[in-house]
Amino acid sequence: MIFTLWKKEVDAYFSSPLAFVLIGLFSLISGIIFFNLLVTYTDGIQALPPNYTEQISFVEEVVLKFFANVNFLFLVFIPLITMKLFSEEIRQETLDLYWLSPIKEWELVLSKTLAAFTLVLSMLLITGVFPLVIWGVGIRDFHLLGTSYLAVSLNACAYIALGLFCSSISGNQIIAALLSVLGIMFLWMITWGGHLNSNYVVSEIFTYIGITSHFERSLRGILGTQDIIYYFSFVSIFSFLTVKSLGRRNW
Amino acid sequence: MDKILVVDRVCKEYPGRVAVSEASFAVAKGSIHGFLGPNGAGKSTTMKMIAGILPTSAGEIKLFGQTVSPENRELKNQLGLLPENAPLYPDMKVETYLQYVAKLHGVSKAKDQVNKVMEELHLTEVRARLIGNLSKGFKQRVGLAQAIVYDAPFLILDEPTNGLDPQTVFELRDFIKKLSIDKTILFSSHVLSEVEQLCNDITIIHKGKIRASGNLQDIHRKFRQGLVIKIGLGLGEKLPDLGSFGKFEVTHHSSLSMEEQFILNFESESDIRSDLGRFILDRGLKLMTLHVESPELEDIFLHMTETKK
Repeated sequence: MIFTLWKKEVDAYFSSPLAFVLIGLFSLISGIIFFNLLVTYTDGIQALPPNYTEQISFVEEVVLKFFANVNFLFLVFIPLITMKLFSEEIRQETLDLYWLSPIKEWELVLSKTLAAFTLVLSMLLITGVFPLVIWGVGIRDFHLLGTSYLAVSLNACAYIALGLFCSSISGNQIIAALLSVLGIMFLWMITWGGHLNSNYVVSEIFTYIGITSHFERSLRGILGTQDIIYYFSFVSIFSFLTVKSLGRRNW
Repeated sequence: MDKILVVDRVCKEYPGRVAVSEASFAVAKGSIHGFLGPNGAGKSTTMKMIAGILPTSAGEIKLFGQTVSPENRELKNQLGLLPENAPLYPDMKVETYLQYVAKLHGVSKAKDQVNKVMEELHLTEVRARLIGNLSKGFKQRVGLAQAIVYDAPFLILDEPTNGLDPQTVFELRDFIKKLSIDKTILFSSHVLSEVEQLCNDITIIHKGKIRASGNLQDIHRKFRQGLVIKIGLGLGEKLPDLGSFGKFEVTHHSSLSMEEQFILNFESESDIRSDLGRFILDRGLKLMTLHVESPELEDIFLHMTETKK
């Protein structure tokens, strides 16, 4: 049943120009970012004396910065992907179709999460040409690439869960998208708040609740149990809230 | 007759507002049950509660002997609903949409079933078109198709012919009649003549309260108080003194092109037509018309919903 629901959502994405516009824009912007990072890196290398070139790390200056920028792009792209998933159903009163069928709320939420993730993966797939460039300059660290893609994918899952919840509480797509953007920004700001707080315990709590520290660790390939628990809890909590929000709307 | 649906003292309350209050009625197996009421009377709310997509605040609804609730998934394939706004995806093709609905309900041969339903509702010619591009009439047919595509034995149709052209109304009405051969239908409409044509039983709801429920003929009988007789006399003729026939009231008088028409409401229900005819003729008056008027459903509806404000 989840496959039927997932397929319908994926078909809906790819039968409208939105998916292609998003994939195209994402490829273009991420391409420009990658190119700029490469140019900055090579300019930096050329400006240094030959013995000092190793002080500028390609991984630090290009690879990690590129994926950090991809994460930044998600701030705009993921709310655009998730905004209509429930709000459009609420506006068109099509949710009745599911409440009249034996489908359970969680199956609907899971299938929409998977469909949104499928579109994000399609966008990330295009960035697959960049590892080829990296391969060309002699960086063949597949572990690093794997963890970088895993890190942005985990963040994408968290943002999708948050975006779906925002979509479930509003019948207006624009409001749903704005709430998602604010929600993601809030997740980033909590970490900054943690850095600014002088109290050690409060600082640690803020840093754990915020997504940035988990993303940075994942990006560097040091994904720990606490990060896995964080992402799993985050997605579960927001999916649960979405299920409850749909149930409450029904009541 | 077996009662498929029993609505027992059902209430629906929203903060600061009671949408449905102590509603009780039953729907017999194999019937088309008309559900009438003005806008905002609580029809759609009641229908959604029966469909199990809106929980009740109090009371109980039993369908096929099982209590209806949003959590009772056993009943989901037993009931088809065409809400006031059909749940349609404008960016899906008709055939794809119907197959999707059939799959949601676990129909094993979804393709065959969809073909059959599309043929019955004359949707085959638009099967490959996007729902959003269809006319209102076709959209309503697709809405009806989604309610019957999984062959549920009980259907709830909320104003299925509202706002459609006469040809489509006629076709849909005919189709609903055919459906009632092996299905039970709860049907709401604003067109009272349509309800009279299609339904054997009716329920009238007003301001969230059930005003009348039961067999249409019984309701007619209950509503009729005394005897209403329409008399046509020659042009310019006046009504003689009919005091000997008991207490009565002239509820209507109009001068038509051929006759003077009077509608008399007698308190007594005994049939006085022959005596009344003879009485008028004996007085040298011309008797053009004389017949008993039965109350129209419209009269009953207006009486139930307007005079009880």
